[in-house]
Amino acid sequence: MMRGFILGFCLVIVTISVKAQQNYAAGLISKELLPYASSVIRDQSMTVEVKDLDNVVYHFRKVITVLNKNGDEDAHVVIYHNINDIIKSVKGVIYNEFGQQVDKFSESKFDDESVGGSLFDSERVKHYLPPVTSYPYTVAYEYEEKSKQTLVFPDWMPDNDVGVAVENSSYTFICKPDFKIRYKETNLPSNAVITTNAQGQKVYSWHVGNLKALKREPFSPYLRDYASSVKIAPVNFIYYGIGGSFTNWAELGKWYNEKLMANRQALDYATIQHVKDITQGITDSKLKAKKIYEYMQSRTHYISVQVGIGGFQPFPAMEVDKESYGDCKALVNYTQALLKAADIDSYYCIVQAGRDHNVSLLRDFASMDQANHIILCVPFKNDTTWADCTSQTIPFGYLGDFTDDRTVLAITPEGGKLMRTPKYSAEANLESRKADFTINTDGALQGSMTTVFKGVNYENRDNLIKETRDEQTKKEQKRYPINNMEIESLNISQDKSFTPSTTETIMLRARDYATVDDGKYYFLLNPANRETYVPALVRNRVNDVYISRGESEVDEVTYTLPKGYMLEKKRLNINIDKPFGKFTASMELKDDKLTYKRKFQLNGGIYNKDSYQDLIDFFSEIVDADKYSVVLIKAAN
Amino acid sequence: MIKPLLIAFFALFTVGIVAAQDFEFGKITSEEINMTKYAKDTSAHAVVLNEFGKSRINIGSNDRIVLMYEYHVKIKIFDSKAFEKGTVQIPLYNGSDNDSYEEVSNIQAVTYYRDDNGLLQKSELENKKIYPVKENKHWANYKFALPGLRNGCIIEYKFTIESPYWDRLRSWHMQDDIPKVYSEYEVHIPAFFTFNASIKGYLKLTKNKAEIETKCFESHGAACDCSQLNYGMSDIPAFVEDDYMTSKKNFISSINFELVEFTNPYDGVKHKVTKEWKDLDYTLKTESEFGGQLKRKSLLKDRITPLIAGKTDDLAKAKAIYRYWQKWFKWNDFIGIYSESISKAIDTHSGSIADINLSLVTALGSAGLNAEAVLISTRDNGALNTLYPTLTDFNYVVAKVNIGDQNYMLDASNPLLPFGMLPMKCLNDKGRVFSLDKPSYFVDMSLSQREKSSYMLDVTLQDNGKLKGTLINYSTGYKAFERRAAIKKFNTIDEYVENLNGKLPKWKLLKSEVDNVDSLDMPVIEHYDVEINLYNKLDNSSGLTFSPYYLGKITTNPLKLNERSFPVDMGMASEDRYTITLHLPAQYTVETPPAAVALGLPNNGGKYITQYDAGDNSFSFTYLTQFNKSIYGAEEYPYVKEFFNKIIQSQKAEIVFKKK
Repeated sequence: MMRGFILGFCLVIVTISVKAQQNYAAGLISKELLPYASSVIRDQSMTVEVKDLDNVVYHFRKVITVLNKNGDEDAHVVIYHNINDIIKSVKGVIYNEFGQQVDKFSESKFDDESVGGSLFDSERVKHYLPPVTSYPYTVAYEYEEKSKQTLVFPDWMPDNDVGVAVENSSYTFICKPDFKIRYKETNLPSNAVITTNAQGQKVYSWHVGNLKALKREPFSPYLRDYASSVKIAPVNFIYYGIGGSFTNWAELGKWYNEKLMANRQALDYATIQHVKDITQGITDSKLKAKKIYEYMQSRTHYISVQVGIGGFQPFPAMEVDKESYGDCKALVNYTQALLKAADIDSYYCIVQAGRDHNVSLLRDFASMDQANHIILCVPFKNDTTWADCTSQTIPFGYLGDFTDDRTVLAITPEGGKLMRTPKYSAEANLESRKADFTINTDGALQGSMTTVFKGVNYENRDNLIKETRDEQTKKEQKRYPINNMEIESLNISQDKSFTPSTTETIMLRARDYATVDDGKYYFLLNPANRETYVPALVRNRVNDVYISRGESEVDEVTYTLPKGYMLEKKRLNINIDKPFGKFTASMELKDDKLTYKRKFQLNGGIYNKDSYQDLIDFFSEIVDADKYSVVLIKAAN
Repeated sequence: MIKPLLIAFFALFTVGIVAAQDFEFGKITSEEINMTKYAKDTSAHAVVLNEFGKSRINIGSNDRIVLMYEYHVKIKIFDSKAFEKGTVQIPLYNGSDNDSYEEVSNIQAVTYYRDDNGLLQKSELENKKIYPVKENKHWANYKFALPGLRNGCIIEYKFTIESPYWDRLRSWHMQDDIPKVYSEYEVHIPAFFTFNASIKGYLKLTKNKAEIETKCFESHGAACDCSQLNYGMSDIPAFVEDDYMTSKKNFISSINFELVEFTNPYDGVKHKVTKEWKDLDYTLKTESEFGGQLKRKSLLKDRITPLIAGKTDDLAKAKAIYRYWQKWFKWNDFIGIYSESISKAIDTHSGSIADINLSLVTALGSAGLNAEAVLISTRDNGALNTLYPTLTDFNYVVAKVNIGDQNYMLDASNPLLPFGMLPMKCLNDKGRVFSLDKPSYFVDMSLSQREKSSYMLDVTLQDNGKLKGTLINYSTGYKAFERRAAIKKFNTIDEYVENLNGKLPKWKLLKSEVDNVDSLDMPVIEHYDVEINLYNKLDNSSGLTFSPYYLGKITTNPLKLNERSFPVDMGMASEDRYTITLHLPAQYTVETPPAAVALGLPNNGGKYITQYDAGDNSFSFTYLTQFNKSIYGAEEYPYVKEFFNKIIQSQKAEIVFKKK
């Protein structure tokens, strides 16, 4: 006992003397690491020590050199904490350009704030921005945090920030020999070093060094798929007093079902009876489920409330029934309870939601921290149906681009089961427009335009429905690039069937659409759907080109022109066909009818990084084609 | 749009007991619950059926003077789009360093709805579902969500706040983003206290009553009557925000109060708070967190002396101090007009706007320069109340230094601002100039600055269809500041140019030079050698068309609405000039040169001019857009909109090249 203490003491002395010798002068950073870097992590370490199933000590240390003002935020010390994860000690030192100490700080200088956005969330944040204005400077800090659970361990991702280079970064995981873990290494130069320390504990360690700063590259895959990282999951754990163990998704799902979901779907008699009443006479179970889903939508709304077991456990259905609100967990659980009242089985599904990347749960590595949302799955025979329960308006069976086409974990009575949400094809994500316009002799445009939205585009006009007429007009005038657009009538309707669609019909008029000058008419051929985006050029691109999902646009516009005119310029006729997309645009004049046809399609998928220049050219040609200006001149006779 | 409301004791009727004006809690009518839409605004998702607030200066639970504020509202919710009205946040302020936030009590909330069987039900908020959250050191929130919301329900809630900040009599927002059937605010002010009241916005009060409430305030033998004021408004429309609107605070209907003076109830000593500017001047001068900090010139002497050593010119001295201050401080994102201690801020390199700029005024004064502090209201804080002198509208302070007959406004919180230039957020209405030894006065904040840019593209059309030549871009005034900020977002000029080129897919920036990035008082000049893919090849068959508005072409009108009831705020006057010089291959000639265009806005508000000069096998085309005002009145809106429309029309024209 005494000897152990002395040994510990010696260790501390040694550490301090090592630190004192370390020189953090900015000039010592290798030139290789400077391009695109606003700051350089000199040394970062995260040490996790599992002392017991309900006692974990984290030690974080970071030394970062900020090269210019853009890097200030990288040195912002931000520490999340809550009643279960308690900050133990924080201290830091600020060095000038030459590595000389100029200031120091401790916890008392930190601001403590709530993490907003929810009705309630016990998570808080302490933060401190070192007030240094001469560059470069270096901030070195360390702190300890205690946690009472062993279910979730943070990922180690040493290079996860744009503009930050890394000299050294390490991750050390210490535990008793009988505490078993599973881990997953991604894109690492070398595997874990596993040793036993003097106390007989098992030590896993990882290290990387000399990582160049990441650059922002449009159409990049999900960071997790190309950055270096280590994920760790326990085998046996305690989570806020609840014990368990798992080595795969099936077992994790079983634990979730038994420990977090049990006895939370009871409803009172009146509600059950009401469900039976409203579904009476409906024989098709899918239509029954739709009716119940719509009832749930009319009865509830989404509010984020992070109370309960670590944000993983849903409120009881009874409570949602009474309060009429809940978060995604509570609303899915409530919907399940309502469905059960009509004898329809369903699954509570854990998913990583997000529009930019379709992120799947890792099939080969089960862990509790891979998702951020809950959706509902109703496994009808040969017709598995999905629903998001947090919206009051979307149709039953519609997921949209928030949770489409990805692997999710369904919690079933038999345990966890990995499933795949439906994929929307490029053809399914359609925006199709038909317009019939007249160009008057004074240059005014007049006529009707109908647009149909399908697939993930179904929601494109949701922000417009139910707005006041004035607001709708204002928003449409902003959306469409038709100057002086006056809306004579506007109608938006939604088909909420199992293949939902939204239809917008506008009757409009726009004076001066065509400029009349010296007997000629000038106007833009593409009135409503002009592409203006071209992906930015990237020197020495590193990542493959990732397109999360396909989409398509079909436009057909007919103009009735003033009589007796002909086209002066070469006609627009473009046809591009690439693996990632297609574009055609053409025009045809027959008597006084000018017809414009445009088709655009983008195909979801991952393409070699060399095709990025093609993608730029593709969009660039579309932008040009969409700018095509018609010039009409008086026909000879 | 700020008008005074009269509070005068002689105008009051005396009444013994004043009846409570609040509406009864827990009472709804069948018309209210059966309502399916609001007749006066059929597209509203919700309507406030009744709203009542009461402020009373009183003796609080711990025998101190407090402001008791009661709030009570009843809202009809038609559909789920307005469900957010059912999530309530009660913000509580703490102006001290310890945890003494304002206190909330008597929270009561209930939802009335028809259940699935059409029966009227009510659902009450449970106390354990009220969540207190300490947001930061100044603000806490009590949050709750009304239970049982559904389409067609009515929510009703009330609460009471006890606040030690009795001098900040709560203002009242008559108008909100949903319409209101009726809203009333009742204020009880003991005669020991005198406040000014004013109303903002375009709407009129339907009730404006003043009465005397006898012996309403008693404490330790001191007693007095109160004035009871009731402000009511019926049929209040929802407030709708527009683009190019300075601040909705300027236009939304509200009632605001300003403490004028008070008598200490215990010793009878009268304290003047607001009356005339000379009183405010005195207040600020003697305020330790304002005048007190401006007086600390000797404190800064040692710091300033080496900065100005050897400099004889006042302007050079002022610039040296300003630069030093910009480099010294990291702004901590707090704004305000009071500095607790400029020395503490200087020691830590970190400070609020007041810390940074009040210390700058002191430092300039310490160097023997004539420096003053200018109090302003930032753009999002709204226009100043100029009806009577008040300090409460000011939320920002900058320095002003007077050298010869010139004066310069300075804000040292941003290291990229040139000497004499203020950030956009400060260019609002008027500022009040304060100094320790002169009476204060107003200055106009909006007229002084301009942004100006000019592009010169000089290129030759090559046989391969590409344009080759140079592009020079001058950014002057505020534009130079914005350009610098854009450049400094990158670690090096090279990375900036890479990014710029990344956004121009048809361009190759072959060589680049950017001048004056760090010479803040000079224009930013960018030179590029460029190659532009114009045509795939020089097509001989038909005419080649070229838009002479190759740079900076406007294709959509930023002003969309047919008419407008609020002024259009463009921030500041601006000028954009583009010149394109194009040299053609020998065998080509221009067939249709662009027509000359000259447009103007009334009262010299702006102009748009094009000029075409034909050369030998080349031409030069210039177009210039100028806006001379920062704000255009609602009555000028159609002209500005049409001005853009005409520019867009003229820019549709194309030049045709023909083979000779």
